[in-house]
Amino acid sequence: MNTEQNLQTADLLLAPWKKETAQPETNRLDVSIAANQLRQAVSALHNARWGYLSAITGTDLGPAAGQMEALYHFCNGAAITTLKIQLPRTDSAVLPTIEDIIPPATFFERELHEMLGFKFKAAKSNERLFIPDDWPEDVFPLRQDFSIEQAKPVEGRQAVEVPEAGRVGDSTFVVPIGPQHPALKEPGHFEFTVDGEIVTAARMRLGYAHRGIEKAAESRNWIQNLYLFERVCGICSHTHALAYSLGVEKLAQVEVSPRAQAIRELVAGLERIHSHLLWLGVAAHEAGFDTLFMYSWRDRETVMNLLEQITGNRVNYSANVLGGVKCEIGPEQAKAIKEGLNYLEPRINHYLGVVTTDTMFLNRTRGIGTISCEEAEEFGLLGPTARASGMLRDVRVEAPYGAYKQFPVSGVTETNGDLEARCVVRLKELLVTCFAIRAIIDNLPTGPLTVRVPRKIPAGETISRVEAPRGELLYYIKSNGTEHPARVHIRTPSLCNWVSVLEKAVGRQLADVPMLIAGMDPCFSCNDRLITTVDAARGRKTWSWTQLREHGIEYYKR
Amino acid sequence: MNTPTSLIALLIFPAGLTLVLTGMFYEWADRKLVARFQNRVGPRWFQPFADMVKLLTKEQITPALSNRFLFIGLPIVAISGALTAALYVPLMGLAPAHSFPGDLIVTVYLLSLLTMCMGLAGWNTGGRFSLVGATRTLTQMFAYEAPFLLALLGPALAAGSWQINIINDYARDHLFAISQPIGFIVALIGLMGKLELPPFDAPEAETEIVAGALTEYSGRGLAMFKVGKSIELIVGITLVSAFYLGGLHGILPFLLKTFAVLFLMTVLQSLLTRLRIDQTVGMWWRFGTVLVLAQILFTILLKGGLL
Repeated sequence: MNTEQNLQTADLLLAPWKKETAQPETNRLDVSIAANQLRQAVSALHNARWGYLSAITGTDLGPAAGQMEALYHFCNGAAITTLKIQLPRTDSAVLPTIEDIIPPATFFERELHEMLGFKFKAAKSNERLFIPDDWPEDVFPLRQDFSIEQAKPVEGRQAVEVPEAGRVGDSTFVVPIGPQHPALKEPGHFEFTVDGEIVTAARMRLGYAHRGIEKAAESRNWIQNLYLFERVCGICSHTHALAYSLGVEKLAQVEVSPRAQAIRELVAGLERIHSHLLWLGVAAHEAGFDTLFMYSWRDRETVMNLLEQITGNRVNYSANVLGGVKCEIGPEQAKAIKEGLNYLEPRINHYLGVVTTDTMFLNRTRGIGTISCEEAEEFGLLGPTARASGMLRDVRVEAPYGAYKQFPVSGVTETNGDLEARCVVRLKELLVTCFAIRAIIDNLPTGPLTVRVPRKIPAGETISRVEAPRGELLYYIKSNGTEHPARVHIRTPSLCNWVSVLEKAVGRQLADVPMLIAGMDPCFSCNDRLITTVDAARGRKTWSWTQLREHGIEYYKR
Repeated sequence: MNTPTSLIALLIFPAGLTLVLTGMFYEWADRKLVARFQNRVGPRWFQPFADMVKLLTKEQITPALSNRFLFIGLPIVAISGALTAALYVPLMGLAPAHSFPGDLIVTVYLLSLLTMCMGLAGWNTGGRFSLVGATRTLTQMFAYEAPFLLALLGPALAAGSWQINIINDYARDHLFAISQPIGFIVALIGLMGKLELPPFDAPEAETEIVAGALTEYSGRGLAMFKVGKSIELIVGITLVSAFYLGGLHGILPFLLKTFAVLFLMTVLQSLLTRLRIDQTVGMWWRFGTVLVLAQILFTILLKGGLL
């Protein structure tokens, strides 16, 4: 089915509830519905297996309009259907929960509630997931009239004590993992109730790495934001900048040259290699196989050096500019990349052999955390985690963007759905990526590196989807015709994959839990984007750089 | 036995200071070899010593929930057990400082004292990671202890004595690693289990339970457990190489044979993935114990002239 037919089907499915429809872009269909009919509309799409719920974007239209919008984005191949609900900016902004229909919606709904103040009728939990526990009630940071003065931490406000779930008897207790724990490379908090070695319940709390990026974006201009979004994630910085650039270029109706697009895909490919090798090391470390960890990270240095040679940076490459790229692939770089790939390909094949034949490692991966294809669809999994369960979810294949039309990659899937399959999918994907990079170097199109993008972006809104190393990355960008974006919403792939960990940890051994967490390749800094830092102990809301520096000097004097 | 020589024997040589320093040297060799296998640079030669000096200068924090007496006492008992065990083994290829019939059993149990103390210490501190770690430490002990002892009994039965010194002399003419290969392998792997080296490091799996039973320990207490571990390492290696690699007589054979065992252990450490605790226990009781029992039965039959 092509995109048009898909949209027609969606239109038919939603016919009973639609108030009005619009087609902002050729691959999108916006359907306005009433809040009380949301569940029926979502069920209709869900039961007909029309795509998957990709994100829920909340937008505040401002005190003047007095309205807020919730946008439920469903993606099916390249087609996107958005259910649009407008509600007043008051306490009566109540939406019915859909978490019983689509489990990952829990996280989207929590985000909408905590950031914009939507209320969800009959939601299972009202615990805070993202914002700090001492954040005042009824202060919503993404509202347009939010000011930093409102965000005074409430002295002594603590998380609601939740009765220990999954309690069997006196022998059970909670093992807290995080926010600071050797298993976690980034801060997150998990509570696993264990009975001996068996996990009987799991809870989680995010938000320790919130930096308020979505809010900050609204006060920066379009170009500044490119560098801001690059810093959402330290591992997949290029894909964030890429998703943003593609979106802005679509809004500005700028055609980027094929050469720039090809270089973008090339950098994205190198980034994928670095990300997956990093992941392999982390997974091996969680399993207690440090030798594999050390070797895969050693080989990762090759690709880090290549990225440095091409872009000048190792982490935030900033290869993108609005309207193109700023780095050129000359003969020298092309040669270096080829040499790097000549070294890496045999290594990747070697690791593929290790993860599929090493008996001791297989003891810890084969048949563990198995997710069937049906479950993967129900949990709304994305990226390699979904592909390991035999569900082809890959934006590069389903809805090729940029240079992926000219230099396609083939989608890699495995059917077992266990941790072993997730290792295999990621490693095979690297071989496919290496192949694509070679094709790009050999047939690099000609053309300018950049084209001009206006300072003011025409009013409009767009959805830009990119396949990050962890799965589909979605940017919703809205412009009101000024130098600043009106709203940018980011939905990162890690957020969708959490459900699988929490569901699959229960009943397993505690020793398997770090592997399960690592198996979906979580990225906490991607999850957490939105809050201004609040220092609870000292009662000061935001610290300037000078204050921080002075505090540091004072602290170490003692 | 006059007092000054005993004191020197106890505090400086062959036990005491020398033992502590040698233990640290072997710990360094272990860390360095594993690092080289993993393509890392590895620590400098004085690193274990520097670690201990640093730990000794640090504050010792006693958790509020723990019994203070036990918290401070357990590391002392642990290190004493390891040091005492060293008296009965042919360190440096010299004759053991003390020897009596049946000292093999005493030595093996003195070595287990360290593990028991770690288990108790984890239970005593009351932390969640410590509790899980302590459970795992003790569970694992019950898994490897029997096969390890049985593996050491093989040469003892052949030599007809349970005295380490006599077995050591008997082994001079009998290379048990060849005649009792299963026993050698089980003893080697059992030693790795005893020392909680990978792949048997589930009790201190950092990605799950931080540092296991010793999570709450700091400063002196931690230093003592660490030194105890180093001593256990050298005593264990000495025991296994004395029994299975043709006895230890003289300093050069001692160094060669113990390093051969250490080298084998580091190779295994680098190659293998950590086992879950249920897998560890399953492996020991399903394969280790059964195999070593078969070996012992064979030895007894051979000894009795029945074969």
